Amino acid sequence: MSTTIKVARPVDWTGIFFAVVLTLVIVVPLLVVGTWAFTNVWRFPSVIPQEFGLKFWYQTLARADVWSSITMSLTLATTVTLISAVICLPAAYAFARMDFPGRDILFFSFLAGHAFPKFGLLVAIAGIFLQLNLIGTFWGVVLIQLVGTLLFMIWIPVAAFQSVDRRMEEAARDVGASPFRVFWSITLPQAGPTIAAALLLSFVGTFYETEGAWLIGAPQVRTLPVLMISFINNQPVIQYGAVLSVLLWVPSFIALLFARRVVNSGSFAKGFGA
Amino acid sequence: MTATEAGALAPAPTQRKRPIGLLLVAVPVLLVLWLIIWPIISAMIQTIWLPTPEGGRSLSVSSYEFFINDPYSRANLSITLWTTAVCAVLLLVVCLPIALYLRFSDSKLAAYVQGLAIFPMFVPSIILSFAFIRVLGPNGTVDLLLNSVGLPKIKSPYLTPWGPVIGLVWDNIPLTVLILLSGLGNVSNQAIEAARDVGAGRFALLWHIILPRVSNSILVAISFAVLGIFSAFTLPYILGPAAPEMMGPFMQRTFRDLFDPTNAITQAVITFGFCILFGLFYVRSVAKNRTP
Repeated sequence: MSTTIKVARPVDWTGIFFAVVLTLVIVVPLLVVGTWAFTNVWRFPSVIPQEFGLKFWYQTLARADVWSSITMSLTLATTVTLISAVICLPAAYAFARMDFPGRDILFFSFLAGHAFPKFGLLVAIAGIFLQLNLIGTFWGVVLIQLVGTLLFMIWIPVAAFQSVDRRMEEAARDVGASPFRVFWSITLPQAGPTIAAALLLSFVGTFYETEGAWLIGAPQVRTLPVLMISFINNQPVIQYGAVLSVLLWVPSFIALLFARRVVNSGSFAKGFGA
Repeated sequence: MTATEAGALAPAPTQRKRPIGLLLVAVPVLLVLWLIIWPIISAMIQTIWLPTPEGGRSLSVSSYEFFINDPYSRANLSITLWTTAVCAVLLLVVCLPIALYLRFSDSKLAAYVQGLAIFPMFVPSIILSFAFIRVLGPNGTVDLLLNSVGLPKIKSPYLTPWGPVIGLVWDNIPLTVLILLSGLGNVSNQAIEAARDVGAGRFALLWHIILPRVSNSILVAISFAVLGIFSAFTLPYILGPAAPEMMGPFMQRTFRDLFDPTNAITQAVITFGFCILFGLFYVRSVAKNRTP
């Protein structure tokens, strides 16, 4: 902006204040966890660890429960994302391109779950699962996590399909391309990146979903976040939890790399009703 | 529902009604009916249509009476209301200044501040809980630093009602800031400059020009936070006291540890009742914004 403003405000004290406070409150606690993960010995009065090292990485990765819960989390997130894609993408295409009775009300019905406090809804669903003997089963957890992905997996792809240039599709039809060919060569490449973002969002969201997995799945279905809860509650060795935290953060980090631009855009906040 | 008033879904390009569309959307819609609408209806029926000792079922509000007359349930409800209210106020106090700064600053630091404010979105709450204990827990980083300069240790908020408050505020900062920032986009620079020209001070500017224009966004941000916090589970379960506990852990324990689904579902219906206004307002706002 103009130089007059710079002269009037030579130092951005407010900005410095927020930057320092947020760094202390948001970055430092995570750095502490990161430090613990690479610490062999850190006894109380010392401000810095007595001995750094990878000892607890070897020990944590040698634990069977860690590997079984990593496998469980990845299997669950992949299953839920795939099923969600198979049932939601055709539905999103229909909402974007076809007219049918009740289209609007059905489209907005996916908001229903968001009018209720989430855990209360989970308990109500668990009441249904109890009668169906789905408590403590893999498919019970898949179902409850699938419900959590529906809204994003339909609303985001609908926007993607609607932004595809119709004239290109019509041009392709005019020169004799089959509907499938048009979808494969014109529609999908244009809608693809947004749909990929929805898939990533649904995978990461499912990977970290703790409440449904704990309420429905425990103790038989143990995902990585559920294992982390038991480490926090019962594990006296701090480093196990720290190493698991670093492992657990990897999918979030990947999401961070891809999604930062999306999150900073105004349309993202609008999706949350802003 | 309110959603249809908005009618925000753009008209489909094919004007011919084609029932095949219904077929394509059938599976997700049936899932919503089976796993959202039906559980809510069933929860209400189940909690007033209770089994009688004779083996039949009859209309009764005894599970709600039990909740109201049980001092422990009432304590859990009040700690939940307290936590939700304190978190909502703290979130506004913390996030409104950040959002105001981000909206009106042209400094290079603004990008860094925005990056930090959004960062907690990419930190799962389970990692946050662990970090909280390592920093503010007994012999945590804060204790280490105080000890190294010869000061006494802090009274740790871990396992007190302030534990969940700190965790939940931390967790909700990104979306609150984003929603408020999006609302502040509606405040035009001209309005601000015009008010400045007639001599409005900073406070008058905030009170008369900015706040009236973002009041809706503030309500949306609060509704979203209340819905998330009222039945929060992970953070209160790990960071909060064992008794009284917030509704989330209380429902979980009643359902899984006490094997008492009827009372757990009664508690769930009670949380629905306390949040229904926020929920409807929130859903209406999301639906209104859906203009593809």
